[in-house]
Amino acid sequence: MTRYAMAIDLRRCVGCQTCTAACKQKNATPPGVQWRRVLDIETGEFPDVRRSFLPVACMHCDEPACEEVCPTTATQKRADGLVTIDYELCIGCANCVMACPYEARSIVHEAKFAYGDQPMANEAVLFDPAKINVSTKCTFCIERIDLAEETGLIPGIDHEVTPTCVNSCASGAMMFGDIEDPDSNISKLLASTQSFRQNEELGTGPGVYYIWDKNDEEL
Amino acid sequence: MKNSNSRISSRVQRNWDWRASGNFIGGGVGTGLVFWSTLLSPLGFDSLPLMLLGLALVGIGLFCVWLEIGRPWRALNVFKHMSTSWMSREALVAPLLFCVGAAAWLFEPSLVWPTALLALLFLYSQARILRADKGIPAWRHPRCALLVISTGLTEGCGLLILALPLLDQHQPWIWALMLGLLLTRALIWRYYRTGLKRANAPAACQKQLAAVDAKFLWLGHGLAALLLGVAWVQPEAAMIAGALAFISGAWIKYVLVCKASFVQGFSMPHLPVRGQRAPQRPQQRSQSSSASAV
Amino acid sequence: MNSSDSNTKTVPTYCYNCVAGPDPMKVEVIDGVATQVMPNFDTCNSHPGKGRPCVKAYGLVQKTYNPHRILKPMKRTNPKKGIKEDPGFVPISWDEALTLLSDKMLEIKAKGLVDSAGLPRTAATFGHGGTPMYYMGTFPAFLASWGPIDFSFGSGQGVKCVHSEHLYGEFWHRAFTVAADTPNCRFVLSLGSNVDASGGPCAIARHADARVRGYKRVQVEPHQSITGATAAEWVPIRPKTDAAFMFALIHSMLHEQERSRLDLAFLRDRTASPYLVGPDGLYLRDPETAKPLVWDSNSQQAVAHDTAGVVPALEGTFRVAHALSVDADDERHLLNDVDASTGFTKLVEHVAQYTPEWAATVCDIPAETIRRIAAEYLDNACIGETIEIDGATLPYRPVAVTLGKSVNNGWGAYECCWARTLMAVLVGALEVPGGTLGTTVRLNRPHDDRLRSIKPGVDGFMAQKLNPTDKENWVAQPTGRNAHTTLVPIVGNSAWSQALGPTQLSWMFQKERPEGWNMPEPTKPDIWFVFRSNPAISFWDTRSLTESIANFPYTVSFAYTIDETNWMADLLLPEATDLESTQLIPIGGTKFVEQFWKHKGSILRQKVVEPQGEAKDFTWISTELAKRTGLLEQYNTALNRGAGGIAPLKGDGYDFSLDTSQAHPSEEIWDAICKATSTQQSDTNETKDLAWFKENGLDLKPISQKSWYLHPTMEEQGLRYEMPYQERLLRIGKELGNRLHEKEIAWWDEQLSEYSALPEWHDVPGRWETALKNEGFDPADYPFWLLATKSMQYHTGANVSIQLMREVSQNVRGHTGVIMNASSAAKLGIKHGDRVAISSNIGVTYGRAELVQGVRPDTLVIVGQFDHWATPYAKDLEMPSLNTVAPMSLELTDATGSGADIVRVAIAKVEGETL
Repeated sequence: MTRYAMAIDLRRCVGCQTCTAACKQKNATPPGVQWRRVLDIETGEFPDVRRSFLPVACMHCDEPACEEVCPTTATQKRADGLVTIDYELCIGCANCVMACPYEARSIVHEAKFAYGDQPMANEAVLFDPAKINVSTKCTFCIERIDLAEETGLIPGIDHEVTPTCVNSCASGAMMFGDIEDPDSNISKLLASTQSFRQNEELGTGPGVYYIWDKNDEEL
Repeated sequence: MKNSNSRISSRVQRNWDWRASGNFIGGGVGTGLVFWSTLLSPLGFDSLPLMLLGLALVGIGLFCVWLEIGRPWRALNVFKHMSTSWMSREALVAPLLFCVGAAAWLFEPSLVWPTALLALLFLYSQARILRADKGIPAWRHPRCALLVISTGLTEGCGLLILALPLLDQHQPWIWALMLGLLLTRALIWRYYRTGLKRANAPAACQKQLAAVDAKFLWLGHGLAALLLGVAWVQPEAAMIAGALAFISGAWIKYVLVCKASFVQGFSMPHLPVRGQRAPQRPQQRSQSSSASAV
Repeated sequence: MNSSDSNTKTVPTYCYNCVAGPDPMKVEVIDGVATQVMPNFDTCNSHPGKGRPCVKAYGLVQKTYNPHRILKPMKRTNPKKGIKEDPGFVPISWDEALTLLSDKMLEIKAKGLVDSAGLPRTAATFGHGGTPMYYMGTFPAFLASWGPIDFSFGSGQGVKCVHSEHLYGEFWHRAFTVAADTPNCRFVLSLGSNVDASGGPCAIARHADARVRGYKRVQVEPHQSITGATAAEWVPIRPKTDAAFMFALIHSMLHEQERSRLDLAFLRDRTASPYLVGPDGLYLRDPETAKPLVWDSNSQQAVAHDTAGVVPALEGTFRVAHALSVDADDERHLLNDVDASTGFTKLVEHVAQYTPEWAATVCDIPAETIRRIAAEYLDNACIGETIEIDGATLPYRPVAVTLGKSVNNGWGAYECCWARTLMAVLVGALEVPGGTLGTTVRLNRPHDDRLRSIKPGVDGFMAQKLNPTDKENWVAQPTGRNAHTTLVPIVGNSAWSQALGPTQLSWMFQKERPEGWNMPEPTKPDIWFVFRSNPAISFWDTRSLTESIANFPYTVSFAYTIDETNWMADLLLPEATDLESTQLIPIGGTKFVEQFWKHKGSILRQKVVEPQGEAKDFTWISTELAKRTGLLEQYNTALNRGAGGIAPLKGDGYDFSLDTSQAHPSEEIWDAICKATSTQQSDTNETKDLAWFKENGLDLKPISQKSWYLHPTMEEQGLRYEMPYQERLLRIGKELGNRLHEKEIAWWDEQLSEYSALPEWHDVPGRWETALKNEGFDPADYPFWLLATKSMQYHTGANVSIQLMREVSQNVRGHTGVIMNASSAAKLGIKHGDRVAISSNIGVTYGRAELVQGVRPDTLVIVGQFDHWATPYAKDLEMPSLNTVAPMSLELTDATGSGADIVRVAIAKVEGETL
């Protein structure tokens, strides 16, 4: 079995939003819709302050709350771990938006472009009316994962079949791959580090791991 | 821990507005009315017009939802996920409710009983819809479902008390029932709020609920109960009490859906170790904190 | 070019929007439309950033299709210029535009290229760090063919750059910019250096690797920047007290730690530490040769520093029988039986006063923290260890000190640059693996190889090309409007020097001259070219500077959109932007910031898509101008010399030179440059044409990592770093003073005080308070320090009108207004999101309050440079800018001509407006 997942090394992330921008561009999301973004989080009080950066997006959960509540079956959990949305089935009820604990989903009700109502040439080329009035979110760049199936390339190693955000990350904070494969880069990285997932108590089984330190055994 | 960046803080959801709350209001009061008017019809009033009113309210609620969804002409896709989606189940119950209700009206009056049962089922589905929305701590709490059911029943009873004299006559036994319902709803409301506090629901969410607490309890319960007392002397007072119970319930659901619906936010159980751990200062406070949203 | 299907292709090119570049990238093109930017993974093993550009590059698609672009040449119809005057730009044809421009230039040529004041009639301002050069095609060849041009009207140089670091860095260790050897470093002390925001992908990737490896970075700065966030420790220092902090670190290392913890051999052999300093504060020299003397521990006598077999004493005071000292203006004194201390001993005595307890009161940093940091620095210095680099054994000293903007420019910067370099030499960590490194040279040549810029000079130091201060050769009559050759010896007079002179003086002197001005009145340039630069926003006192711009008689802007500077222009020429035009530039080697490569070569920026509207390739514009101004011959000759690219078009074993009598199409010019460059790079083994570069993007060859370090070169040439004692600077300062005073110029006297042999702490922050008092204001009315910090999304990207940058930057704090400490805000009744007015003695700027804990209570911080009023889209952002409220003041200008980006301000809520 294959279970695609993402590991984000918070020690590396500088909050630069390159992944946010790359994702917006590749997926042609309208202004205000960010399938992923990096949070700028401050903890503590002056002068004992820490500032951290937390990239967030769809967690492609094991037990997706969005999939459970979706009345149309537009949202599906694939065998390889990806959570998908069929834009032709979705009715835009937003129940999944409410169910997702990670603010991953967006619905826009009208076509909007960077500079108003009229698309620029690049926006016109990538505009997809099917994405209006339905729920949208990070797909883990699903067409690239599907391309891997066809070509035998390996997601997380071959850039052509790796999510855009992972490719773009200037600090190399993101790793993508099959966590069911103990020899994959992501499995090895997670084995050698300490990580957490978002709100694990909710039982969603998020597929995004946040690395915060090396393994205690190595200390 | 202080957090000043509003982007990280929990924020209120913006996808469901008055139209969505309209469904929970219409559905709650409508099913409550269908249920109580049927259940209490042995007291000697004609429950059929009240049932029809209740069904109309449920219908209005569903119409509100239809206005809200992004792709209304695909609405029939809503029936596709009976296995887990309470929204699909609600959608399934609705036509059954209307069909059996229509049959009761047109063909077989005794069908009001299954109609009442379906109404209860509809109300339960609505409660479970919110319960399944894990992204909204105010909804996903198990006690929220209890609140939705109790307030639906209370609202329905309130509307029954208000409507009966216009169609028939006052029914003091229903006033007594109402008192019981009010007491139950008030207790569940408090029980719910305590539950949210214990679950560490977003502060802003709790603030929204705290802001309406006194008015909800005193006007929706205290004053309503008082007016029910007055009703033994001045029966019309019961109508005002019914209206109060109904309006306060509708209002609290609007607050619940549109105002207190803060999202989960993100947690930071461990801060990243950048190179080496930061030195501990003598006055160092705990750093194993989570972002304010949680 | 790779293509996955007939309608989609990916095209390699580069992003060089900031000096931290260039970074390779690819652009996806669908049906002839650029759709997305992506990394160029073909370079993941050569580019230190693994083939990835930073977030700014992702804005280039929108930059191309921005509906607010100027897409036709325009001329001004309203002769009046001012903020309130609509320029009345009307579209004209390229032919008309170029005729207007060439007529103007021919008119200037007829009058003479230099005016009556001896100043060039033509001025040009290009933006950030020379990066516009990498977007202007062959325009440098046109400028070279034209003659004298005044580059002194800065767009931020000196006030927004790391100015003193450029000048002193290059002086001490050929370090126009300074960086840690991050891949090999164990401990970095960073004073406000915000590399994780402005260091580009190379710095980001290297520091991320280092963090995971476990290095420690201590970030000392008033506001916890991005780099402060990613550091192991944040130390919130009081603004502009960095020198005091470093002096105390040095005190701790010299007075509280064992001497053996220093690299004594390095100090003895590679620095001037053993040079003997006489009672007059000058080196004692050999009476015969005038070489500086050292005390030979073997023979127990003073000998010339380069005497064979000498073992110089590092410390001590010695009696010297006969010696010479050479003072300013070659005033020589013969000295007999004088006591002399080594430079090192002078240093030890000098810093005795700067205890951690003293610094604690100045910097607001606990003394124990200062001591601990000094100890950690020494703990990590690995004295005595070595490392193998490409077969050579080099010292391994994995500690570095880096400085950020406003620490290393303006008053106090000399002290900071000195202290930083000194900290490196104390442990032998200068220009060795793991240590503090220079990355590039600009004032010296060749630009692409700083090792070759080192030649033996006087006194055992490397040769310096300083502006003369002696009576005969001092440039009394300025040749540019900032008088850089007259006032700033250390900036030299190479191609970059003028733009690195005191550029705010050019603007300041346009408006008013200091009392006692007796040089020719600075004239306005007859014609002013502006490209990729908006000084009306990016300099200081911007409202007043805008008035100066409005007074210029003829301004030509190569314009992308309307902006605050070209609002005053007479002619707007739309050039094909980043993704629309062709240019070959050098890449790799060691360049600005943290661009240390193990490869070197050239990279092509190519026409990824057709230019929008009537935008024209800069090379076409340059050739047309050359043709129309009768300079074609000179222009082509300049191109043949190599002015348009990297290599001369004719060299040993190859000849791709252009016929100088013809105007050549852009593609033909770049084809010749590609061929010449690749042929030269491969030692004539291989010739790659433009088509090859279009397909492959870049051409690299491996180089040794040894090229990162000066140490082997210094050792080979037997040279010493000019540390710690600054005898030469002391002497130059005296000479400059003599010259100025002979000319009865007293308004530069305060600046002359910077020329000291061992920098002393003076109340640096107090200068700002005194300046306010001198202007008739009460400092208590302006209780906050306002600082600026960099934004990776915007920093020098010329992308303020790009919606994508705006959107993603909103996720990073500080991008809606002014960053303020929450407790300070509470005292003033300011809440998060309140609209606030930030006012100085010269103006006010408005924004939203962003309340945080990670900033000192006495400090406010504004991100980037905004406050636009003409630039479409940007003018609606309602963002504040430090530049609006920062005064330009001679009093706040240091001896290098730079000013620090800091202002005393007040802040108040603007009633009734809350987000």
